[in-house]
Amino acid sequence: MNFFSRALRIRELPGLLGLFVIYVGTGLINPRFFSPSVLNDILYGVAIVAILAIAQTFVIVMRHIDLSVGSVIGFTSFLIGDLSSQGYSLGAVLAVAALVGAAVGALNGFLVAYLGLPSLVVTLATLYIVRGIFNQVGAGKTIVESMVPKELNWLGLNRLFGVPYLFIIAVVLMVVAGVIMHKSRAARDLYAIGSNPSAAELVGIPVKRRILLAFVATGAVSGLAGAVMLARFSSASTQSGLGLELLVVAACVVGGVSIAGGSGTVFGAVIGAILLQQILLSIGALGIPQFWQLAVNGALIIGAIGLDRYLSTRVKPSNIMGAES
Amino acid sequence: MEPQKSVLEMLGAKKAFGGVQALNGATLQLFPGEIHALLGENGAGKSTLLKALAGVHKIDSGTITLNGKPFLQGSTRAAQQQGVAVIYQEPSLFPDLTLAENVYVGRQLKKGKLVDWKLMQREATKLFKELGVDLDVNRIARGLSIADQQIVEIIKALSINAQVIVMDEPTAALSSKEVNRLFSVARTLRDQDCAVVFVSHRLDEVFALCDKMTVMRDGATVGSDLISNVSESQIIKMMVGREVSELFPKMQPILGDVVLKVENLCAAGQFVDVNFEVRKGEIFGFAGLVGSGRSEVVRAIFGVDSYDSGSVSVDGMRLSKGKASKAMSAGLALVPEDRRLQGLLMPSSIATNTSITVLKKLVRALVIRKKGEQEVALKWAKILQLKYASLNDAVERLSGGNQQKIVLGKWLATDPKILIVDEPTRGIDVGTKSEVHRLLSQRAQEGLAIIMVSSELPEVLGMADRILVMREGRQVAILSREEATSEKVISLAAGAGIRA
Repeated sequence: MNFFSRALRIRELPGLLGLFVIYVGTGLINPRFFSPSVLNDILYGVAIVAILAIAQTFVIVMRHIDLSVGSVIGFTSFLIGDLSSQGYSLGAVLAVAALVGAAVGALNGFLVAYLGLPSLVVTLATLYIVRGIFNQVGAGKTIVESMVPKELNWLGLNRLFGVPYLFIIAVVLMVVAGVIMHKSRAARDLYAIGSNPSAAELVGIPVKRRILLAFVATGAVSGLAGAVMLARFSSASTQSGLGLELLVVAACVVGGVSIAGGSGTVFGAVIGAILLQQILLSIGALGIPQFWQLAVNGALIIGAIGLDRYLSTRVKPSNIMGAES
Repeated sequence: MEPQKSVLEMLGAKKAFGGVQALNGATLQLFPGEIHALLGENGAGKSTLLKALAGVHKIDSGTITLNGKPFLQGSTRAAQQQGVAVIYQEPSLFPDLTLAENVYVGRQLKKGKLVDWKLMQREATKLFKELGVDLDVNRIARGLSIADQQIVEIIKALSINAQVIVMDEPTAALSSKEVNRLFSVARTLRDQDCAVVFVSHRLDEVFALCDKMTVMRDGATVGSDLISNVSESQIIKMMVGREVSELFPKMQPILGDVVLKVENLCAAGQFVDVNFEVRKGEIFGFAGLVGSGRSEVVRAIFGVDSYDSGSVSVDGMRLSKGKASKAMSAGLALVPEDRRLQGLLMPSSIATNTSITVLKKLVRALVIRKKGEQEVALKWAKILQLKYASLNDAVERLSGGNQQKIVLGKWLATDPKILIVDEPTRGIDVGTKSEVHRLLSQRAQEGLAIIMVSSELPEVLGMADRILVMREGRQVAILSREEATSEKVISLAAGAGIRA
């Protein structure tokens, strides 16, 4: 097998190439795109979707999906602001955010794993349920900057060596989750479940427990991400996080996380998120009407899935006697 | 020989599913270092027995002991840990994972808390080497041939130091070359003191490979003996419980006009220059090794795949290429090779599956008449002698032989002029097999032209009036029934210089 065909199998490669081509291409047409402030804008803006995409990867590799994350992150970003303005400590409100997310994840996971309901429908339902509760709890209230914990405000405004803290948080999460996904047995089970669910049962993987666990993890991380969202916007209302879930799924798919389960990495999910964010800014820099941004995102998704299909059919079938030629 | 201790013993096992008694006094005794054939018709209870050993099912009564200790039942993981590995008919690998991870899935090797990929690759490579199989452990499992997938499953069994390795019809989808490799692997396992259970419908393989055999019928063990003590006809008699008069009931063909004419058919990379005619009432056989292009030719004729040049005509009318719907209206029908993937809607009912090809005729005022569906299904269930509880039962709950009959029935329901059957009796038991053969013979007598693709040489030799032999995408001969002997067909199919 030569280097080229091996490289083609790296699922993150198309995303990385896209990232590079669009960055350089836009910069050549509009040199101001190369300025550090644009890069800063991309990294600053991408943190939320990147973190949610990392969390989403846990369920997508199992051939499931979690659409409730947009409602969860919106709700917890509101809760963090609301509770800390009532005097609760940052640690306590973060714990509440994680618990709320984990609880929604546990409900999703239970319905999917133990009652066998399709995750698409279950999480669509919890998307509405959580948003509905959010609307009740947050009716008429808006979180403004003065109510945001000062630590979060600081994180949202500052950088380390020029890199926004919010992006650093995403990168740290990516590394930790990346190691876990690659090197822990429980996480490897998620890949096995997504790759061949019935075989996973046969080899003795506790499929139901793993599905539950993955949904809880996705929920908890998405809940905690509410803090990042609050740090970024310094405000929250019942509109927060609306529609974010689809962007998150798009980022995963574009980053090579197979929607059919079994393959993809959190690294890819982050690449996908950055790519989508970059296109947003690139379209501005090229003077293309913003309207096209959504259309381009759509084209990217189709492109990513098409490429994935093409590459997976190119996998070489094995020779009769098992010899790799 | 000194008396050995058995490694696994199942005594008087019973297991019921609802009202069906799947196991009814099954007994099996395995010794280390033997290859043990487990035989029986479809529905005899072999699958249930296997699943009990695999830890999928728990038996209702009876005992299973392993090395004299009770076998912990009802958990697949526990079964593996106790040293029992079952390799299913359809290998259950994880297509997206590497071979190394597939071998260790669910129990990946670790260093501390983390999975140690390097160690896993090294260990897996070592196991592949021991078996003498050259596969890259870092490739993903997607795209592996069935034979190679089985090898990975065997490696998996070795990696848990299995004492008992059960293979459920491992040769059903293999070419003869691959079967030979599997046999040598099985013998290696035997020499390492494993007890290997080999389930197969091909008795010639059983005689070639196995040391002992156990026959099951209706959920119970009817006999067990050394292979050298029994004859083929004795085994068949035990399996069926009656004499199977003739395996291939061949009737004198009544040949009519040419109905199908194939001229200079070529498809790049698959086959070249295929020429033949089939007459009304004729059974036309296709022989050749797996991968010689037989299935590709019939798929092209039927129009599921396209071809590059040449022509296919039915009753003198040329068919447009790549259009299965045109072929169907011209009177062609294809019973595909893999009934699970191509022929049946597994979760749907018997009635739906049988009538699906004639739905158009059943539609009244835009609605499918349920009654019509039932009538069609009932008619074919009778003709095919289907064994079922209700026509509304899901097809996936039937045995393989009954499924195959439904596939046949659904195409015969279209009342075709030309029926193409690809591996019509793969993986089904001798009793059902001879019923399928009788059914095909009868239809041919009534004027149906049949093209039969089969890897089982006795079947082609027994059934076909003429045989087309293919080798590496080329048509090497068309033999008449008189000319065709197994030696001749094998030497043509395998290429000159190779002696059968």
